[in-house]
Amino acid sequence: MTDQRRLRVTEVRSLCPEIRQITLEPLEGTALMGFQPGSHLILHAGEHRNAYSLTGDGIMPSRYTVSVLKRNDDGGSAWLHQHLAPGSEITAEGPVSMFAPVHNQQHALLVAGGIGITPVLSHASALAALQKSAEVIYAYKPHRAAHVDQLREICHSAGFRLTEVTSAGNCRKALRDRMSDQPVGSHAYVCGPMSMLESFLEIGAAAGWPEYRLHLERFEAPELDPGEEFALRVSGSPEDLRVPVGVSILETLESAGYSVPNMCRQGVCGQCQISVRSAGSLEHRDYVLTEEEKAAGGSLMVCVSRGTDVEVAL
Amino acid sequence: MTKFSERAQGFPWPFAEGETDFRYSVNVEPARVRRTTATGGWGEHLVDLGGSDYTQLMQQRREVIAAHPERRRVLPGMEMACWDLLLYYLRDMAAAYPESMHLGEEGKNFHWRNDLLGTDQAFTFGQEESLPTDPLTFLASEIPDDLVLLTERDGELFFDAGLVTFAASWSVSFNVGMSMTEIHGPVPRMTAEGMTRRAEIFMRQLQPGQAYRRLNWSTSKHRGERLDTSLETYREWESEIPQLVEEEDWGSLQLRNELQHFVRLPMTGTVAFAIRTYILPLAEIREIPEWRDQLASILRELPEDLATYKGFGDFREEIVDYLAQPADSMG
Ligand SMILES: Cc1cc2nc3c(=O)[nH]c(=O)nc-3n(C[C@H](O)[C@H](O)[C@H](O)COP(=O)(O)OP(=O)(O)OC[C@H]3O[C@@H](n4cnc5c(N)ncnc54)[C@H](O)[C@@H]3O)c2cc1C
Ligand code: HEM
Ligand code: FES
Repeated sequence: MTDQRRLRVTEVRSLCPEIRQITLEPLEGTALMGFQPGSHLILHAGEHRNAYSLTGDGIMPSRYTVSVLKRNDDGGSAWLHQHLAPGSEITAEGPVSMFAPVHNQQHALLVAGGIGITPVLSHASALAALQKSAEVIYAYKPHRAAHVDQLREICHSAGFRLTEVTSAGNCRKALRDRMSDQPVGSHAYVCGPMSMLESFLEIGAAAGWPEYRLHLERFEAPELDPGEEFALRVSGSPEDLRVPVGVSILETLESAGYSVPNMCRQGVCGQCQISVRSAGSLEHRDYVLTEEEKAAGGSLMVCVSRGTDVEVAL
Repeated sequence: MTKFSERAQGFPWPFAEGETDFRYSVNVEPARVRRTTATGGWGEHLVDLGGSDYTQLMQQRREVIAAHPERRRVLPGMEMACWDLLLYYLRDMAAAYPESMHLGEEGKNFHWRNDLLGTDQAFTFGQEESLPTDPLTFLASEIPDDLVLLTERDGELFFDAGLVTFAASWSVSFNVGMSMTEIHGPVPRMTAEGMTRRAEIFMRQLQPGQAYRRLNWSTSKHRGERLDTSLETYREWESEIPQLVEEEDWGSLQLRNELQHFVRLPMTGTVAFAIRTYILPLAEIREIPEWRDQLASILRELPEDLATYKGFGDFREEIVDYLAQPADSMG
């Protein structure tokens, strides 16, 4: 679990229709913690606890900035749009780092689609501050080009190059073109809609990128198969639980009265990780654990993953 | 008034109440939680200044650093991580010891004052020329902990920088650049039993700013007060234990305890591994009934390979007998 703290909103700025930039500062004199590029804050937005990427470079920040796309009328993003104004206070957790740059990379290819620009901007700013090199592809709808001016300015730095595209077809073309033309030792990072992540993986594989050089940040996860019913035991508890079709281990544990930390409930945030004592089999369906960790079977993201005859330790 | 010495009172006793046998485990817990012991307590702060010996300890550390520049190794690309470490620790110390440590901050400009050592230093974050030394040496001259930095590459953690003056017969120059698995190669059972892997997973899951700790114990490789038992000075201390054994001076044998902290540094994601070393002679431990009995039982039971690795395989029975004799019968 990460620490909670109150922050003060000092500015709310509309970047384009539906996207607002929120600036947060500490309540009194205390310093803000620095963060790795690609980190996010967890904001308590009414009933919701949502993740929002920090857009700054993370080096000795005096304020945090996030940009929130309003998704619908009753979610957490809508709450943030409605309730925050300069002077408001908000509860935040983090920064949490799950999309960090690889320490020894020679060069970075950064790909952003739509609101996925937020963590990419953070990576680009940090690389520019450290005088490293990077290439950026930004795909956006013309009326929703959040942060494009800032990005253009960063990409004027020596060793930077920017490609802007405004349609899915052009985005695939840019990916094919640029992914086959990067220096040795590069790592590639993407954040954007699901279809873009798929293209990135597919084109990257075809261009010969090994998996460990491709890094994805997911704001949301695809619909999952409902799975089969299976038995679940909590170490130290006598009763056996059943996890029904279409219901997660997390929901099963919650209905049985256990409390398990969680947030995204879609296998992307990493909060609901639990130790596995034993299992007949495990079906990992999250995007958090590495292949190696999944194979070792020591833990499970209980919001999405399933198995058979699973015993967990809480 | 208490009958225990200052160092016994602050000694982080490495065994849980009721523990009578010992095996390696990934024994990590959140940092900054005070534990009470039979003699006092420890663990409230990330950095333990110790008691009245703090200035003397830092004097010893500064002398080793000056005489042995090879105790500091920083691989290329680790400069920012060293600043990240410095800032994390100075902020922590200013918060933990507000009566003697102060950190003024204005943007990237800082002013550090440590009243106990008389340090008064302004510096600019990221600018090495604004400090009298590099940031790692600067920090190592203010706190008693040995410092190691690890970075992740392709799913493994590597020892990429460190300043270590009080190592237990290992050396920075030898270990720098190695992976966790390579470093722990000499430790019996550790990698074979999957512990190295679990330790590594634990460290990779630490979140930015989070601090955890573990304790590690052995018997000391030397007899006196010095803490510098690095491989580099092997010649200076190698004869001390054989001599102690010859004289059967068991009371001078020391329990050597390491309080290790793990911190995920916020800006670089580097894992900092800090080692604070404590020593306590068996003569003092024998005065503390709970500790004496527990240590005797653990030493007696420990499997041969672990006893040898920890350094007392050749005289285990003698020290167990020594602990079993009541102190006053010896006069
Ligand atoms: C690491 C990360 C970084 C992100 N960064 C940004 C960013 O920079 N900018 C930005 O605009 N957005 C970002 N997001 C997305 C953001 O966190 C929200 O998902 C988004 O704002 C929509 O939230 P909402 O509450 O408005 O919508 P909702 O309609 O409440 O939920 C959106 C999705 O979350 C699922 N969900 C939420 N709560 C539950 C629950 N209790 N049970 C089951 N499913 C649930 C729903 O299935 C739905 O698909 C990020 C997400 C992640 C994981
Ligand atoms: C949770 C993490 C870790 C665990 C559980 C762990 C555990 C251990 C254990 C059990 C030993 C044997 C000590 C003894 O019996 O006296 C050991 C030795 C050692 N450890 Fe670790 N360790 C951890 C992290 C680290 C890290 C981060 C480093 C630094 C790079 C490190 C460096 C060493 C060294 C240098 C030795 C001595 C090895 C030798 O004899 O050459 N350890 N460790
Ligand atoms: S709750 Fe986010 S990974 Fe499970």
